[in-house]
Order: sequence, then C-alpha cells, then structure tokens
Amino acid sequence: MVVSDGRAAETIRVWSHQGQEAESRALRKIAAVFNEVNRGRGWSVELTFFPDFQYTEKLAVAAAAGDLPDAFDLDGPLVARFVEAGLLADVSEVYPREELADFLPTIIEQGTIGGRLYALGSFDSALLLYYDREMLARADVSAPAEGKGWSWAEFVDACEKLKAAGMEPVGLHMNESADEWFTYAFSPVVWSGGGELIDVEARRVRGVLASEENVRSVRAWQGLFARGFAATDPVEPDPFGQGKTAMDWSGHWMARSHLKAKGERLGAMPLPMLAEPSAPCGSWCWAISARTEKRAVAEAWLRWVTGVKTGVVPTVRANGAVPSRRSAFAHFPEYSEIPYRIFREQLETSARARPRTAFYATLTQRFAAALRDISRGADVEARLRKAEDEVQRVIDRKTRSVAEVAR
Amino acid sequence: MTAWQRDFAKRAPWFLLPALGLLAVFVIWPLGRALWWSVSDADLLAPERARWMGLGNYSDLLTDPRFRRAFFNTALFAVLIVPLQTAAALGLALWVNRPERAWRWLRVVFFLPVVVSLPVLAVVWSLLYQPEQAGETGLVNAALGIFGIEGQAWLRDPQLALPALAAMSIWQGVGLQMMVFLAGLQGVPREQLEAAQIDGAGAWRRLVHVVLPSLRNTLVFVVTVTTILAFRLFVQPYLMTRGGPEDRTLSLVQYIYEATFLNLELGRACAAAVLFLTWVGLLTWMQRMFFGEEKS
Repeated sequence: MVVSDGRAAETIRVWSHQGQEAESRALRKIAAVFNEVNRGRGWSVELTFFPDFQYTEKLAVAAAAGDLPDAFDLDGPLVARFVEAGLLADVSEVYPREELADFLPTIIEQGTIGGRLYALGSFDSALLLYYDREMLARADVSAPAEGKGWSWAEFVDACEKLKAAGMEPVGLHMNESADEWFTYAFSPVVWSGGGELIDVEARRVRGVLASEENVRSVRAWQGLFARGFAATDPVEPDPFGQGKTAMDWSGHWMARSHLKAKGERLGAMPLPMLAEPSAPCGSWCWAISARTEKRAVAEAWLRWVTGVKTGVVPTVRANGAVPSRRSAFAHFPEYSEIPYRIFREQLETSARARPRTAFYATLTQRFAAALRDISRGADVEARLRKAEDEVQRVIDRKTRSVAEVAR
Repeated sequence: MTAWQRDFAKRAPWFLLPALGLLAVFVIWPLGRALWWSVSDADLLAPERARWMGLGNYSDLLTDPRFRRAFFNTALFAVLIVPLQTAAALGLALWVNRPERAWRWLRVVFFLPVVVSLPVLAVVWSLLYQPEQAGETGLVNAALGIFGIEGQAWLRDPQLALPALAAMSIWQGVGLQMMVFLAGLQGVPREQLEAAQIDGAGAWRRLVHVVLPSLRNTLVFVVTVTTILAFRLFVQPYLMTRGGPEDRTLSLVQYIYEATFLNLELGRACAAAVLFLTWVGLLTWMQRMFFGEEKS
C-alpha cells in the first residue's frame, strides 16, 4: 500500500496484556485514534491482546523466537531482565527533558536501568491501609491525622483493640494466587525497617535478605498472624468490602469499590511504618523492541500512549489506576480527596520501585514462598536464609557463566 | 516370497514417510534442540547467545537441594499414588461390574471427576481442606469433627500437604483406571469362573486364581500409565499450595516450569527435562522388565 505522498505505509505490531475489559477497550480506542491521526503519514498500529496470566510467558517465548513485536507493555519489575537480554530500545532521547519532568519520579525510576530509560508507563500504582471509620470508632481506636500513618506499635495497638471488640482487624489478602502480591505488598515492611531485599549493584542476596533488620521487621509482620489479627488462609477476596475486616492492606484498584461500599465511612492512611514511611509503586509500562525496524512509528506510539490527553487520561479513566503524569491529575478531581490524595502524595515522596535487577522474577517468587511459610509460623530467620540461598544460587550460576565467557 | 510380496516390501517405506515426517518435526527435532540446549547456558530471552557448557547443567542440578527436593516429592507422590490408586480402581471395578442399570449410574459417578477440569477441582478441594479460622472450617475437618478427630491444616502442614494432594488426586483419577479394569474384566473367561465355583472356590480364591491372572496385562498397563501420570504432577500443587509449605509439594514439572519462565534459564530447564524424561523412561522400562506383558 502506498499513501498519498508516495511513502510506503508503516504498520507496527503492538502487544498488550489483557487486563480489565474497560482497560482493553480504552486501549483499543487509543490505538484507533492514533491510526486516525497518523493516517496521512501512513503510520498505524496493529494491537494484539494476550491474557495477563500468560502474557509474560508469551513475551519470553516471543523473545526466544526472535519475534517480539515493535512495541509492547510489560510489568515494571521485569524491565531489568529484558534490558539485560538486550531486548529493549533505549528511549532516553525520545522525550524532551521538560516533558520527562512531568512524569512521577517513581515511573521514571521503574523504567531506568543503569542510568538509561527503557520503559515508561501511563499509570502507576499505590498501596495503603483502608479503614472503616465506624468500626474503628466502635473499638475506640482513633485514626491518625489526615495523610499521616501509624507507627507499627500504634497499628498493633489498634489491631488489639479491634480484636478485643470482636472484630477481625485487618485483611492482608494471603489468598492472592500471584506471587507478586507478596513482594509488592510487604516489601514496604522490609524497607520501612531499614532493610533491603537484594543489593542490586553487588548482585548479592546473601546477608541482605535475612539481615538482622529484616528478621526484626518480618517478625513484627509475622506477629499479625500469630496474634490472630489477620487470616493466613482467607477465602473471601474482599473481606473489607464485605464488612468482615475493619481495615484493608490493599491497593488503588480497590478504591472505587470500597468507596461504593462504604461511602463516608471509608478512611485511608499510608501503610504503618517500623521506622521510615515506605510504599511500593510500579505497574505495567511500555517499551520498544531493540530490533524494531520501524523505530519512528514505535516512538510515536510510545509518546502517544504516555501522552496526557492521548493515553494517560483515557487509560486511567478506564482502570482507575494512578496517572503517571503530574499534569494529568487536573483531569481527575477526586485526587483532592481521600483516598486518592494519598496515592499521589506517596508516589511523590515515600514510594520506591521494587528492586531493578535481572533476577527479580526469581527473587519475588522465593520471597513470596518464604512469606507464605512465615505467615503460617515458620522460623523467620531460617526461612529467609533459605530463600537467600536459593536466589543466590541462581545469581551465582549466571555470574559464573558470564565470567567463563569473558575468559 | 511371491513377486507381489517383494514389491510390497520395496514400497512399504514410502508409506511410512508421512508418519516419520510428523515424528521428525514434532518429536525428534524438538528433542534434539532440547538436548543441545541442555549442554549450553541458553537464556530463554536470548537463546542465540547460548554457549557450550558441557555437563555443567546436569551436575549443577544433581547437587541443587531444590531439584532434589522436587524429585523426592514427586517420587513420594508416585509411591503414594500408584499402589493405592491401582488397588482402589480394581476394587471399584469389581464392585460395579454388574449388568443392572443402577450400577451403570454408579460407574458414571465414579468417572465424573476425571472429566471435570483439574483447576476447578483444585479450587473446590482447597475449600474442602480449609483449616479452621475465625470459627469456620472446611468440610474435611467438619466431617472428621463428627468422629471426634481433631481438624488439621491440611495444605499448610509440611507433613500433611503432599498426602492431602495425593488423596485428592486419587479421588480425581481413580475413575479412569476403574474403567480400564472394567474393560479388562470383560475378558475374564466365564467358564473358568464357573468351573472354579463348581469346585467350591470362594470369591477370594476366584479373584486370586482366576480374575487376577487374566487381568495381568491390564494391571501392567494401569500401573505403567499411573506411574507416568503421577510423575507429571503439576496442576494440583501449583494451584493449591504453590509448591509450599516449605517446598514440600514442589513437583518436578513445577521446577522445570520455574527454571524456564521465572529464572529464564532455558539450558538448565532443558537439562532438567531431559533428566525427567530419562527417569520416567527408565522406570517404565524397569516395570516392563519385572512384570512384562504376557504375549498371548
């Protein structure tokens, strides 16, 4: 096909994970408008969705076959591994500096590996502690001032009072089947206590994951189950919305449904902290294949899908996540209120990306398995040490084989 | 040999070609690739960078405590499953092997779990095995409670998780083996049974001396297939326990899956798969050696 001014038409393949129906619909619309606007140039995108529970495997298999699409989205913590395999194009120069300054720092951090930018998302995520004002009042628990969070001791104290008043204090969603929930939700406990999951620079987990600080922090977390403040095997996916628990350790994705269920009774605060305030962040983000032959179109798509009006606003309207750009917040009046205000405050202050290491997938899985066992009473130090050894083994193997190649 | 037979012998290989072609493309070639990758450090995301590693992957696997744990768990699962499921299937088959309509319905009932999708059953059984919390408990514990037996945290107790999964798997799979035995029972010579009865042999002796010998081939088949299926364990532990608690339900297939898609170590995953294939092949061969089929 030849377009009006005689240049060949260029269509790029774009893959995306299939999340909620509304989100996929929004993305289809974003792509349709992109095609409409760029018709004169002959640029277009061909969008394909894959179910999100197989999407990462699908990407890996496509990479193995040398058949990655020109542009695709991937989960934030996996960016490092794809960069290491040389699969992602450096997009540091795609955005003018002042435009990059409009993105939340967490989103830039998530997509930056070794000082270069490889991926950008149109939305970010946030995690906090929702609570039911009435239930807290019934147990004579006073919530902290707006925008402030509890110290760990205050949090435990509140749980005690709630339990004494015959309520189930907090839902931690231990029935979540995805390993990622555990790392996403409970890394802040580790960080807040002054620890780390991995020393990314030194590629070391041994002595880091089972450090003294972490053993202390994770013991404090284990206490929530040991003292019956949280269920180790909940059945209900949304116990807080059902009125079963007084508090909910959960993410932005529950904000709409909690507001609907609770209305004025819904309160929210940052996560309880051991020493420092801490929060997770990160979500799906867009990248360009290093091998694309249609880079100009792929870059145009990246700019489009992360553009405020062209990508961010319609996507966030559909999925209820946190906009990744400061100037997009003006389109969402709810961000002047609770809980939304806290999402933004966190992302601009205390939130940090999960470790940007090529070994993230292994780390998250072993850490999740350790947390599952610990919640059910396993010895904290021994179990973290076991996870340490397992992850370190994988790292050492890789490092060894790289060293042999260098020789 | 007639001229026609000679002619046929010359042409026969051509008729094999389509089948051999399919085998080459879908079995032999992938197997060859896997063998080559298993002696390299291939990365799933960039297999073109693969380098020769010799037997490094193999020696590393054999000394990896997690791989050994996976192997031990899977073997233990097979040891639990094979005799119990075979015996249960034979018992059920003998029980429902009657012509009346009501028994036919019972056969269908026992066979049902085989056709229901495993992930669905995994969810159902996770609920059945629910430990007690906040005054609520799963049906299994509730049923035991009636007999005064204390409830357990079935899927969370490192000692109980694998046996609990085995019990569920037997319940799920036994219907299939029952059907195979039922088919085998049709082949038991009726006159021998009648003769034994006239000679005054009781039901037990008829079973041992008439029924079992004529079921020999069926038995070999069932034991072999059950062993192979047991070693392919993956769905139940992956969905119900994620290989936990403390890796006690980590299966070989889950290990291979993780090596491939989490660690993205294609070479190592292929080595694990080759070891897995060798082991299952060896086991099947040994079973055939020890109680090989009777050639009729």
